[in-house]
Amino acid sequence: MIRHHPDQNMLLEYAAGSLPWGMSLAVSSHLQLCPQCRQQHEDLNDIGGALLNESEPQIVETDAFAKLMGRLDQEQHQAQDEDTGPTEVEEPPVPTQPKKAGADPILANLPKVVGKLVSSNRPLKWKRVSSALRTSRLATGQDRYEVAFQRICRGGRVAEHDHRGREVTVVLVGSFSDADGVYCRGDFLLREPGDVHRPIATQDQECLCLSVLEAPVKVTGPLGWLVNPFLSFRPN
Amino acid sequence: MEVPKNRDDDWSLLLVRVGKDQDKRAFEQLFRHFAPLIKGFHYSRNTQAFCAEAADELVQEVMIRVWRKAPSFDPSRASANTWVYTIMRNCRIDMLRRNNRRQDSDSGDIDVDDIWDDTPDTQPLLFLQRKRGEEAVAKGLASLPPEQSHVLEKAYMEGKSHSEISAELGLPLGTVKSRVRLALKKLQASLSN
Repeated sequence: MIRHHPDQNMLLEYAAGSLPWGMSLAVSSHLQLCPQCRQQHEDLNDIGGALLNESEPQIVETDAFAKLMGRLDQEQHQAQDEDTGPTEVEEPPVPTQPKKAGADPILANLPKVVGKLVSSNRPLKWKRVSSALRTSRLATGQDRYEVAFQRICRGGRVAEHDHRGREVTVVLVGSFSDADGVYCRGDFLLREPGDVHRPIATQDQECLCLSVLEAPVKVTGPLGWLVNPFLSFRPN
Repeated sequence: MEVPKNRDDDWSLLLVRVGKDQDKRAFEQLFRHFAPLIKGFHYSRNTQAFCAEAADELVQEVMIRVWRKAPSFDPSRASANTWVYTIMRNCRIDMLRRNNRRQDSDSGDIDVDDIWDDTPDTQPLLFLQRKRGEEAVAKGLASLPPEQSHVLEKAYMEGKSHSEISAELGLPLGTVKSRVRLALKKLQASLSN
């Protein structure tokens, strides 16, 4: 049961297309796990549809349709040329996942958009932050947010840290808790700057989260800087 | 209760014909209808999200995707208006990203359609209430107080975030957020009626 969701304002920005790319990635991962929010998103899209229908129509360029059909014809010709072009030597079938045996089971059952993120970032580089926490930065085609996997071992405790920027965490596998509650698969958590928390993974399984962070996290405990997952972004 | 056959369903039928038979005449009718609306959504007396040239460029991009994606249009899931809207939104995100992309942004090959994903639901239980919500929404929109519909228009048509709207209108962010929430509450009520 998913108990934590993006608020309506954030969902509306997502549906309207103004939510930044990094944050939208987190919302999208949540939507793929949360039927309730997906329904809300469709309602919000209906607002877009209604506004489109009621727009004040504007005359488009007179040759607009002809131009478009020209483009489509050209594409079709190209496709045909490729068909009739030199026949390629049939390649031997490539095993779909050559390294399936070494595949990380925690990455097996992820929302589609996260799966795509994994394959576009292969091989994932895991950085050991502490005995409990490993993280892997993910390139997503933007630089406003730090997007990363956070992976906490069974029962692992993460150093207490606060947040200097907004951070969204989406639980993808397993669950963790902090002073405020327990978070399970699909849960979407927004931390505001200044929030301090100390996540602990539940005992039964490893926990994998997607985190989207606006600004570097600073660890507050003694020697905390040693375990700061985003150490390299610490301002000097 | 008998549901009056509404005009919008015609657009859905045309879309289905384009998807199934690549019917160019059906596509032309869709173009004549939607192209001026797409342009008006981004460039009109009320909205100037794009300049006229960029709006024309967007029309081309959106309509070419409508043609390509028509085979995946499912009239039981969304109305033609909503479906075209989602394609247009994704196109706009793409266009703005292309223009604003900074050199130092990391290279990722996630596409807009990966994040704003419209593939059908795999969980069938959800189909339960995907009824013609849009008509109710349209009626609800017309009855909103102007200050509420105004923020919705800014959000959707001008593509502005809540903080941008707050800065532009000189309103506290909290006020913008609560206007949006009040508007949604009313629309939700008209949906459940």
